[in-house]
Amino acid sequence: MSESTVASPSPSPQAARPAAGVPGGRRPGRRRLRTALIAASVVGLFLLWLWGSTFFADYILPPPAMVWESFVSMLERGTWGTEILATLQHMFTAFALILAVGLPAGIVVGRLWMAEDLSRVPLIFLQTVPTVVLIALALIFIGTNSTGVVAVTVASGLPYFMLNVIQGTKAIDYDLMEMGRAYGAGERRLMRSIVLPSVVPYFLAGGRVTLGVAWQVTLFGEYLMGTPGVGFQISSAIKLLDTASVFAWGLSIVALTIAFEYGIFRPVEAYLTRHTRRG
Amino acid sequence: MADPLISTEGVSLRFRRSEDAVLDDVSMHVREGELVALIGPSGCGKSTLLNLVSGLLAPSAGRVQVREGVRMAYVFQSPRLLPWRTLQGNVEFGLEGRGLGRGALAERAQRALAQVNLTGHERKYPQELSGGMQQRAALARGLAIDPAVCLLDEPFGALDALTRSYLQDELMEIVRGTGMTTMLVTHDIDEALLLADRVIVMTARPGRLSAEVDVPFGAERSSDALLGRADYAELRRQLREMLRPQAAIAA
Repeated sequence: MSESTVASPSPSPQAARPAAGVPGGRRPGRRRLRTALIAASVVGLFLLWLWGSTFFADYILPPPAMVWESFVSMLERGTWGTEILATLQHMFTAFALILAVGLPAGIVVGRLWMAEDLSRVPLIFLQTVPTVVLIALALIFIGTNSTGVVAVTVASGLPYFMLNVIQGTKAIDYDLMEMGRAYGAGERRLMRSIVLPSVVPYFLAGGRVTLGVAWQVTLFGEYLMGTPGVGFQISSAIKLLDTASVFAWGLSIVALTIAFEYGIFRPVEAYLTRHTRRG
Repeated sequence: MADPLISTEGVSLRFRRSEDAVLDDVSMHVREGELVALIGPSGCGKSTLLNLVSGLLAPSAGRVQVREGVRMAYVFQSPRLLPWRTLQGNVEFGLEGRGLGRGALAERAQRALAQVNLTGHERKYPQELSGGMQQRAALARGLAIDPAVCLLDEPFGALDALTRSYLQDELMEIVRGTGMTTMLVTHDIDEALLLADRVIVMTARPGRLSAEVDVPFGAERSSDALLGRADYAELRRQLREMLRPQAAIAA
């Protein structure tokens, strides 16, 4: 299985963690400069867009103001909320299913060689089969409804998450397991006190990769299957050459992704790895 | 005399049929309250013998007997603390699964941490502490279960010389104070003579018992006091001779 699909978390809890927000900013002066550079890149991109839009027709590169108008109008009509909600429902249902299935399945596969051999081919299959093929199959077996989108997303995201959990389970410190047994721990206590905590860094790394995959596949699925959601809105808009709407949807997704990263993922990560911060 | 607390009769262990035995025909016993040191070259199976006594491994032949209902503390060469738990949480680990309430768990853990002078560090995580302190916490985890037997597998092996010597004295005091029956695995002759009532010498490949030496220095001893004694020097010389690699071949 290709190594690149498995995000490797820091092997030891002592490993240095990058400072939150700005990477590697240790001295306060340097840190401020780096924040300024990041801000400058955002402003620069915006100006480039503003300047570039004067050379192209609106249906090719709409100016920022037009995209904003399109966004406000969708918001006012209620389209924005409805469609974003539909997409989020698809994505988070799939993501929750992946976590709920992938964590126990990954632990079992990581600990039992028989389960590993049995799951090897199915996992390679899910990982390598093109998403378009999964979508085509879902159209035949399930139809153009939400279930189809969720199924395709689960099938695409599950191997990424499972491979991380499997690797984490294999990396469990056997010495700790032996210690646990020496102190009379049965399978349940070993699972709760040693196996699950050991897998946490891999769970987080896998979760992050999988969330990214889930976003992509959900939108792709909606686009191709015509299932209500942002993906379908984008496909309709581009057919009408309403490029401003496409931009508005795209930027909305970027904003949501950033919001989830800092609003949900980082706090959860900080909580689950709280012991790695030196007091 | 009462039955020994721990005994092995003709114990052999091989991990695979084709391989040489790790332990071959090992018969020994440990009486209640005794501190026995197992000493031998690396690979002689002395740690394996502890794993057999603790029940982590089962012998291929022979019998391992431990008096029923005896709780065993196990201190390993590395602390083996759970990095995601505080010191208190780590010490509580051995007590969980006994249906004790939160308060009782915390109280016992704190008492055990006090025994090893770690009061005030309850809420710290292992990686915030020095190696010596981590190993003391590992000892506290063992003491917390109120053990009748303490298994020590080179517990000072990974520590610097200074920390080791202080920890040896501390451990001595604790073990003598609680009257625990103790098996200490070591490859350090001085450590064995400082701590043990009896030293069992092992040879490697296959692991066998080769000699047994009674240590006559009594319960009250310190490394400082031992250094001046002529019989200590003599016993030390004898053990060194027994553990010399050629001695095993000549025997």
